[in-house]
Amino acid sequence: MSRLGSHFRISRRGMFLAIVVLACVLPLLWTLLASVQILPDAIHTPPQWEFELSLDQYLEVGIVQPDFMLKVFTSLLVATGTTLLATTIGFFAAYSLARSRFRGRASVVQSFLVLACLPVISYLIPLSKLMDTLRLTDTITGIVLAETALYSPLAVYVLFGYFHSISIEMEESARLEGASLLRTLRSVVLPACLTGVVATAIILFVLSWNQLLIPLRIATPHVNTIPTAMIDFFTFERELDWPTAAAALIVSLLPIALVVALAHRALEQFSLDISHHKT
Amino acid sequence: MLTRRQQLLFLTPLAAILIPFLLWPALLGLFASFTNYDPYQRTSLQFVGLNNFATILRDSDFQAAIRNIIVFAIITTALELVLGISIAYALRRPFRGRSLVRFVLLLPWLVSPVANGVMWHFLFDPERGIVNFWPALVGLPHLPPPLSRGLAIFAVMAVDIWRKVPLVSFLVLPGLLAIPAGQWDHATIEGLSFYSRIRHIVVPHIRLLLLTITLLLIGDTLGTAEGLWELTSGGPGSETITPGLYSYARVLHTYDSQSGATSAWLIGLAIVLLGVCYMILSRGEIDA
Repeated sequence: MSRLGSHFRISRRGMFLAIVVLACVLPLLWTLLASVQILPDAIHTPPQWEFELSLDQYLEVGIVQPDFMLKVFTSLLVATGTTLLATTIGFFAAYSLARSRFRGRASVVQSFLVLACLPVISYLIPLSKLMDTLRLTDTITGIVLAETALYSPLAVYVLFGYFHSISIEMEESARLEGASLLRTLRSVVLPACLTGVVATAIILFVLSWNQLLIPLRIATPHVNTIPTAMIDFFTFERELDWPTAAAALIVSLLPIALVVALAHRALEQFSLDISHHKT
Repeated sequence: MLTRRQQLLFLTPLAAILIPFLLWPALLGLFASFTNYDPYQRTSLQFVGLNNFATILRDSDFQAAIRNIIVFAIITTALELVLGISIAYALRRPFRGRSLVRFVLLLPWLVSPVANGVMWHFLFDPERGIVNFWPALVGLPHLPPPLSRGLAIFAVMAVDIWRKVPLVSFLVLPGLLAIPAGQWDHATIEGLSFYSRIRHIVVPHIRLLLLTITLLLIGDTLGTAEGLWELTSGGPGSETITPGLYSYARVLHTYDSQSGATSAWLIGLAIVLLGVCYMILSRGEIDA
């Protein structure tokens, strides 16, 4: 009995975590229900649910229109391009910083975090003028370059932490045995921190997928990512109705939630800690 | 070890992307805030000194934005850190389903800021939303509408907390898991309270991580505005306007880009100053 009792006893920790999980999930569940026209009516006591189950909102958002897949494809292309470019650039830069010794190195690394915090809005207008001059407005290349510049500082900061924490003995012995620098990077360094690199890449992918201002300002009308396509359903000028906005939210959330669910083992290793005593 | 040439070579791609597409536009934006530059009008470029800064500092909307953001940033950042650390602390020992909980903790952050603003705009609806559902379920009277006068700032803070607390706990957890097990055993033997465990074990071990997260949280609070634009557009009155929203609305919606860019540059300046504080506070944490 006591065994059974302790098995079913809900600990305070369990209660606390259950509340946290519910708090995370319930607003999204409400949104999912609204997107299929299941709406609560809180005027009555007890509240009632109105069932008018329909998928019209998803049609309204345009998932069956031929250009919808094009928008998804554009978003994937932009987010993938940005992620690959920023992670690669960050990989080399962070490695160079992690294996150099100079005064003020810590400040240089930390200034990348400060740069990562700089809001896009403070340089958006000159950036869009520059894109005009370079004829990169309304191109996927333009968005990828701008977003790579936006997110590579964060990549440098995080990847520095991984390189800083792995021992350099393996690298040194590989070099002594005559392996070239690039070969050492590929066969020794990359395997040692692969999970960290993948986790960083996933974080950048999410940030890029949700980036609105850059594509909104330097792309459109021809190049549409999912956030710029969805903004139409989120503006109040258009008769905004909740079920349609909810459907747009679900449509833009699902792909990224899928990516994160598939990669969550790697993401659990994501670490912003770059201190020298990290274990 | 790398040769000097290899070190510079590895930094070249970063410089090649950052200088043209981030640093140059940022400096140009700073320079423009001292001139009458307006991308929507062709006027001869004139140096106006600190005029643009004086204009927005006299603007009552901007003054309200400064007052709001100070209260907003202090309260939300403090609560996000405290709650985030508490959740991570509750997750530090393994149990069945912990991986799933960690995935769920990422969900609020996966919703884009714009979509998040729209979602909460409707979830705060007295009839169709989520807030009045619970009191109605147990027969209590309706709550006042969260986005009404006097309450809106708290509602906006709650949305920010909903979005970021789970992310903070997700980011803090790896730091807690890296604390040697002996430290926890020691705490158990000593009979340390939750508060002293956080103060004497957790904080010293993950000081730099906490400072990093704090800077990212404040940076996001100061700089992003698209969610707030959808949620309240700064209202009622100017109760929920922030410098980020002020810039966003002026640059994108009212085409008063001079004030918008100038206030955005003040946000950039605030972030640089906070960044300097962060560097001073974390001295010695990266290189022993």
